[in-house]
Amino acid sequence: MSRLADRIRQGGIFVWFSGALLAFCLAMIVSLVGFIVAKGMGYFWPSPLVQVQTADGPLLGEVTAHEPARGEETEKIQFRVGNRDIYGQDFRWVPAAGLGPQERPKDAVLVERLEYGPFIGRIASLSHEGQEVATGPAALEEALKRLPEASRLRRHIQSIEKGQVGDLNRRIEQLRLSRKRLEAKADAAGLAALDAKAADLQAAYDQLQGSLEQIRTEAKAWTLNLQTADGQAKECPLGAVVRMVPANAMGPLDKLGVYLSRLWEFAADDPRESNTEGGIFPAIFGTVMMVLVMSVLVVPLGVVTALYLREYAKQGWLVRAVRVAVNNLAGVPSIVFGVFGLGFFVYGLGGSIDRLFFADSLPTPTFGTGGILWASLTLALLTVPVVVVATEEALGAVPRSQREASLAMGATKWQTLWNVVLPSATPGILTGLILAIARGAGEVAPLMLTGVVKLAPAMPLDGTFPFFHLDRKFMHLGFHIYDVGFQSPNSEAAKPMVFMASFLLLLVVVVLNLFALNLRRKLRERLGGSTF
Amino acid sequence: MRIRILAQTLLAALVGVTATAQNVKVDPKVSTYKKVSGINGNLNSIGSDTLNNLMAYWVEGFNKKYPNVKIQVEGKGSTTAPPALIEGTSQLGPMSREMKSEEADKFEKKFGYKPTKVAVAIDTLAVFVNKNNPIKSLSMQQVDAIFSKGRKGGHAKDIKTWGELGLTGEAANKPISLYGRNSASGTYGYFKEHALFKGDYKDSVKEQPGSSSVVQSVGSDRYAIGYSGIGYATSGVRAVPMSDEAKNGGAVFEATYANALSGKYPLSRYLYIYINKDPKKAIDPLTREFLKFVLSKEGQEIVVKDGFLPLTAKMEADEIAKLN
Repeated sequence: MSRLADRIRQGGIFVWFSGALLAFCLAMIVSLVGFIVAKGMGYFWPSPLVQVQTADGPLLGEVTAHEPARGEETEKIQFRVGNRDIYGQDFRWVPAAGLGPQERPKDAVLVERLEYGPFIGRIASLSHEGQEVATGPAALEEALKRLPEASRLRRHIQSIEKGQVGDLNRRIEQLRLSRKRLEAKADAAGLAALDAKAADLQAAYDQLQGSLEQIRTEAKAWTLNLQTADGQAKECPLGAVVRMVPANAMGPLDKLGVYLSRLWEFAADDPRESNTEGGIFPAIFGTVMMVLVMSVLVVPLGVVTALYLREYAKQGWLVRAVRVAVNNLAGVPSIVFGVFGLGFFVYGLGGSIDRLFFADSLPTPTFGTGGILWASLTLALLTVPVVVVATEEALGAVPRSQREASLAMGATKWQTLWNVVLPSATPGILTGLILAIARGAGEVAPLMLTGVVKLAPAMPLDGTFPFFHLDRKFMHLGFHIYDVGFQSPNSEAAKPMVFMASFLLLLVVVVLNLFALNLRRKLRERLGGSTF
Repeated sequence: MRIRILAQTLLAALVGVTATAQNVKVDPKVSTYKKVSGINGNLNSIGSDTLNNLMAYWVEGFNKKYPNVKIQVEGKGSTTAPPALIEGTSQLGPMSREMKSEEADKFEKKFGYKPTKVAVAIDTLAVFVNKNNPIKSLSMQQVDAIFSKGRKGGHAKDIKTWGELGLTGEAANKPISLYGRNSASGTYGYFKEHALFKGDYKDSVKEQPGSSSVVQSVGSDRYAIGYSGIGYATSGVRAVPMSDEAKNGGAVFEATYANALSGKYPLSRYLYIYINKDPKKAIDPLTREFLKFVLSKEGQEIVVKDGFLPLTAKMEADEIAKLN
């Protein structure tokens, strides 16, 4: 008994207790990440294609789920049968009884297509301009050989479309806008000049279209003739094939190759098929960019506020009230900031900017609709209290002796602040920034009102002048998770993507934080292990 | 053609496969899309979440024709479309229901003319149950008694358990677990007006943020029932064939294309895109081309791909006429 009292007095029990709580927190984090990784990572591994005999014919697909018998209900197996264009649905539940043996035919192949999701079946033949070149297993081999060339051609077409054709289109649109202006002024000579220009552009456009058409026909020359397990035929141009995976005939190394290439596609490609396939690169890019713009906006705002509050303002009830208000701001639900951002930034500020500077393109709004600038500003407001509080603390931690030394050397108050106080407070300010990033990267609600979209066709940063398009809407990983999880048309197929996107969002937050931490460490080293 | 569709549907029903869009073919008389030059710029679409995926598919298809056009798609519910059109933050307002008169009035007050309504697809609203649920069919009146407080449809008494719908065994005593959409959704509004005969939803309806989450919930809860567009069907759920006691002698109809076109299936509706078109001026070329694409053969094939139903050639011609 007295021993227990001893232990309590010495604090041994509390050490154990706090250790246990730490372990609990760690276990929660590890299981969260583990759960997400386990659910998501397996998705890209090629699973075997299983063929069974059902009451209505043979069925070929990946086994995805299993439901044991329960009461009157019999045991059921879920297959991913693919072929959305033929069967209507990617998945099918079938009763497990009477399926016969589960075979794994070597010639079964999963063809990932640009449209309609995967095709699961067999390759009957490969033809070139209608002529059969190879049949059966040889066709698969030949098709695999031809695939890189077909994909290259497809990318070539895409780059012409995005580059040259897009450029022409942009100039034609500019002409249309200046035409609108001239028409308002009734400038006949100007209009005639414009018409001549328009005709030139049109000719160039037609020529480009002609050559594009040629490449397109070339790309369509090779065709795969596919056959489903129940004998339905389907044609697919080789140019519309992303990948061919004969999973049953592959060794572990080949499978690893497919796995890595799918993973890469997911991280680096644009989404397809209403976000249920392809990659999520625009969402990753949008998230990172929005956080960076937010950081650039939030640091000066927060630091200057804190500087005035701490160093210049006369400490009294007003400053106390402002401090309380700032702290309360940190507790305001984020959706409230979203509403403010929509009303003030988007409709108010953005609407005025449009009327003043972009009147030509009205009624199509430029800044008067959600965009990355407004979203970042809203998030900057949301996170500014964090930076203010952290900066104030950091400023307060700069030793009085240092300030006095500077003042004694004849420096003014501003010189002291700029040259002595602020540099040694920088690590503390960065701590505030790290907290702000952590909060900002995870917010979704205010973004939904101020500029996040399901599908943003263009990134906020690209090669078109002025390169940095702050008016554009953007995609965000957090919103992508919500969208794919709750709004997707093919929710069964999209489920693993939700987990993968969650994993990437975690990764993005960690990387951004590591970057800021590293910056802080370097600064500290330079300052020689100062405070905070 | 029609007979074949029916035969296939019957076959599908017999072997227990959910009848889905697989049988639907776009009317061959629907015109194909012709590309024009000088199409560039930005479009914003804000509105229905039922149409959200369809819009995304259309934008993908349209971008293949015009790689440099930028169209942003936002879909948080049909109710968000009219304010965005009025504020000018969007040019396309996809809606899964017609605009209410108050909404159209507000628009007219600002611009002096009514918004233009373009029907772009047909949707059949399905009542989904779990795939293991053996129920054969439901009447509109039963659905009303399941979902509504007031039973304006005229069913004699409230339906709370599966036993009251004729299921036996374990399910008989199980309460029906209800899933529906949130009130910003056009699907919510449509279902309220047609299936609930303008009555009120029960408080026990679990309101979901998207059509897809209704279907997912029903797929994982074996005593659940929920409604959403047929395009969202998964392998975990089954669309229940419907009847209306007041029409067709209470005969039961599947949610097929033929039944939707003939109006025999009681819960089919048009999906719309609303635009701001001044009757005195020509329509903005980008908006015009996008809608022409949507109404073209390619656009309507995309409708089928997303699981909705395409317009017929006659409907298409009517809608295109509105654009000129």
